[in-house]
Amino acid sequence: MKQTKKQTLMGNDAIAWGIVHANVDMISGYPGTPSSEILGMVQKIKHQLDLPIYAEWATNEKVGFEVAYAGAIAGKRTVATMKQVGLNVASDALMSASYIGNLGGMLLIAADDPGFHSSQTEQDSRVFAKFARIPVLDPATPQDAYDMTKYGVELSERFQVPVMLRPVMRVDHAREIIEMDAETHFIPNAGEFQRDIGRWAGVPRAGRLQQGYDVLDRIETIKAYNWEHHLQPKFDALKGGKLLILAGGTGYAFTLETLADLGIEADVVKIEMPYPLPAEEIKARFDAYEKVLVVEEPYPLIEEDLAHPKLYGKKTGTMHKIDEMKKEHILMALQKLGVYEGTNIYEVPKFDLGFDVPDRPPALCPGCPHRDIYYAIMKVFKKKKSIYPSDIGCYTLALSQGAIDSILCMGASVSMASGFSIADPSKTVVATIGDGTFFHSGIPPLLNAVYQNHRFILIILDNSTIAMTGRQGTPERFHQNIDIAKIVEGMGIKCYEHTYSHEMQENIDFMKTIKSEFEKPDHQGPLVVRVRQFCILDNERKDDWIPNLFAEVDPDKCVACDSCTTVYKCPPMAYNAEGKIEIDPFLCAGCGGCLDVVCPTDAFQLDAIKSKGGAS
Amino acid sequence: MRYQIVIAGFGGQGVVFLVKVLALCAGNRDIPFLGTENHGMSQRGGAVSCDIKVGEFTNPVIDNGQADLIIGLDPNETLRNLHLLKKDAYVVSNSDRPFPELPFHVALSDGNAKALAGEFPIQGLNAYMLGVALASVDNFPFSVEEVETALRQINAKVADQNIAIVHQAMREN
Ligand SMILES: Cc1ncc(C[n+]2csc(CCOP(=O)(O)OP(=O)(O)O)c2C)c(N)n1
Ligand code: SF4
Ligand code: SF4
Repeated sequence: MKQTKKQTLMGNDAIAWGIVHANVDMISGYPGTPSSEILGMVQKIKHQLDLPIYAEWATNEKVGFEVAYAGAIAGKRTVATMKQVGLNVASDALMSASYIGNLGGMLLIAADDPGFHSSQTEQDSRVFAKFARIPVLDPATPQDAYDMTKYGVELSERFQVPVMLRPVMRVDHAREIIEMDAETHFIPNAGEFQRDIGRWAGVPRAGRLQQGYDVLDRIETIKAYNWEHHLQPKFDALKGGKLLILAGGTGYAFTLETLADLGIEADVVKIEMPYPLPAEEIKARFDAYEKVLVVEEPYPLIEEDLAHPKLYGKKTGTMHKIDEMKKEHILMALQKLGVYEGTNIYEVPKFDLGFDVPDRPPALCPGCPHRDIYYAIMKVFKKKKSIYPSDIGCYTLALSQGAIDSILCMGASVSMASGFSIADPSKTVVATIGDGTFFHSGIPPLLNAVYQNHRFILIILDNSTIAMTGRQGTPERFHQNIDIAKIVEGMGIKCYEHTYSHEMQENIDFMKTIKSEFEKPDHQGPLVVRVRQFCILDNERKDDWIPNLFAEVDPDKCVACDSCTTVYKCPPMAYNAEGKIEIDPFLCAGCGGCLDVVCPTDAFQLDAIKSKGGAS
Repeated sequence: MRYQIVIAGFGGQGVVFLVKVLALCAGNRDIPFLGTENHGMSQRGGAVSCDIKVGEFTNPVIDNGQADLIIGLDPNETLRNLHLLKKDAYVVSNSDRPFPELPFHVALSDGNAKALAGEFPIQGLNAYMLGVALASVDNFPFSVEEVETALRQINAKVADQNIAIVHQAMREN
């Protein structure tokens, strides 16, 4: 037995340690909440312990998956990480990889986000595993996540197919004391590509059809394995009775606690591998119970695979159908099933504040240059005559400035700008995209627009980082020869350049020149602008950009017109008891952006003492 | 033991730091600990709340009506999360105004005013409110010595300053 030690870790850090302790040689992926800390932590461990691990961010999830997958074909142990919507991007590669398989173990980590905490959909990656016919493991806690990471790599190697680990946000970002290998003895795996054209380059129809049969056989084998190693020992240990609960992932963690809180006893089986399920064997065990409840999230995957008259879950309206798991949902299900007759102990104690607590929606940071650029765009390209498609990143928060009309998925700002320009040529389409998103999936739609001559303006907000997900680097940051302007010029069009200025008028003047360029009779196709800017949380770069011009308000000039709190919206600005705007000195970042133009009566002025480094 | 704590504030105030400190306190005494944190919206200023469950628990989320204590770094964020508290729970909050009558034990301190007056740097607000909790919550699960040890483990460089702020808060509250 290996020596173990206890350590307090966040789920994603536990997964990172699991990766290292599974002797994974390559990890490649794309940031996305709640998955991002995994690869970052592997990078940290790699540097701390000087391990021969490839741990790099790819340009998007498909690329990340394919790099890792090829490594596994060549015998290395590999991991690809992404958030659930990232798997949509990587899915083309995944679907075929399932047919072809791998030699070294490959773990695909797709982090789900029930409850839409920071995702545009609540899709269930376990369903994707079923779609691709690969096994999936569903951890309930950070400890599970550590154990299943190691186990998943082994499983993949054993069955020669990628295995999915599907942690949800409440595992990734949960913190607990876990038990892990006391020491790291990293043993690299030899990488040696073995030519096998029939397998690695199997083509339709004959080659792929045969691989298709193999996939079906393999899934049956894994089902039997799931029964023998995971499920049968658990079912054999049960007594039978009124209620059986089948609980997957966090569902298990929530179920145990609810039962303990309510003092109810029921048989609970933890479903560690929700696909492929040995349905017949499981259903045969239902005989010992009156009712069976499935607790899983976010989709009814187990429930659908085990369809049975005794089975209750989301489809019967017994469990919640959307949004995050709560113990209260389980309590109510137990009430509906007649197992619990007590009160709702998760009710809110009665109190009345007598007022509503003001909302605090996520907002761009104080001093974020995105705010100023959007302000300038709106000043020059008037709302009535424009359409503003945008994309996914921090800048999406300019929604609150009224500066964004559409958001779909990464890269869609450019292709939707094409679509809008064709559908409604009476308006000027001004699209915005971050540099991270441009590299991820903004280049093919721009090529499309250039060769089909679509008339719109595309503004690339180049802060040299993927800020939204925790400031991972973009390709140009680490390889300075990669230049967005040259990529655009390579398409045969000009790339207009602007550098963000804390003097608002300069940003506005620049947008005016863009407008007149775009309106010239001989202008054709898309007009592309790259704005160089920075992220205020980017410690390596921000000092070169922030002028340390802190603002205060001249109360005599403030007429409470709301301009700053509706169109510009920097968080430190709020009304005080006297009905005048005041700037919260703890929040002001000293960007100086509001000192000019933003206030129609010029009430913002320099806080001279603070700007010189003194206390305000 | 079973003890549930909510920590609330907004991005940039160091809410997650407090989770890490209390996690270390539990780990050092070898009591089970489960917590859940907000990560991913990197912007400064959005609402942040984290759950901490010390003792025998299996899931990290605090349900309505369950928490024993809330430590709030901002009055509105404290008020927004009161629904998580059980009756007679403790409310420790940074606030520049009194709270309405509530079925909880309430301890308020105007940390912003103190920081503005230069009594401690605003980055120490989280440590200050931890000190207020140590001073005013009878059933707080950790001792000041345990908190000090954790503060040293988490970041030795700023530990002295944080510990001084904790003690300042304990004297003043
Ligand atoms: C397919 C997909 N992958 C990952 C994400 C997570 N994600 C949200 S915003 C973002 C990128 C933001 O970077 P950038 O465009 O440079 O804008 P910034 O945040 O720096 O302003 C990512 C990767 C996502 N939403 N969709
Ligand atoms: S994290 Fe950076 S890019 Fe995002 S809002 Fe803040 S300053 Fe802007
Ligand atoms: S100077 Fe003005 S715009 Fe800049 S952070 Fe301070 S209040 Fe916001």
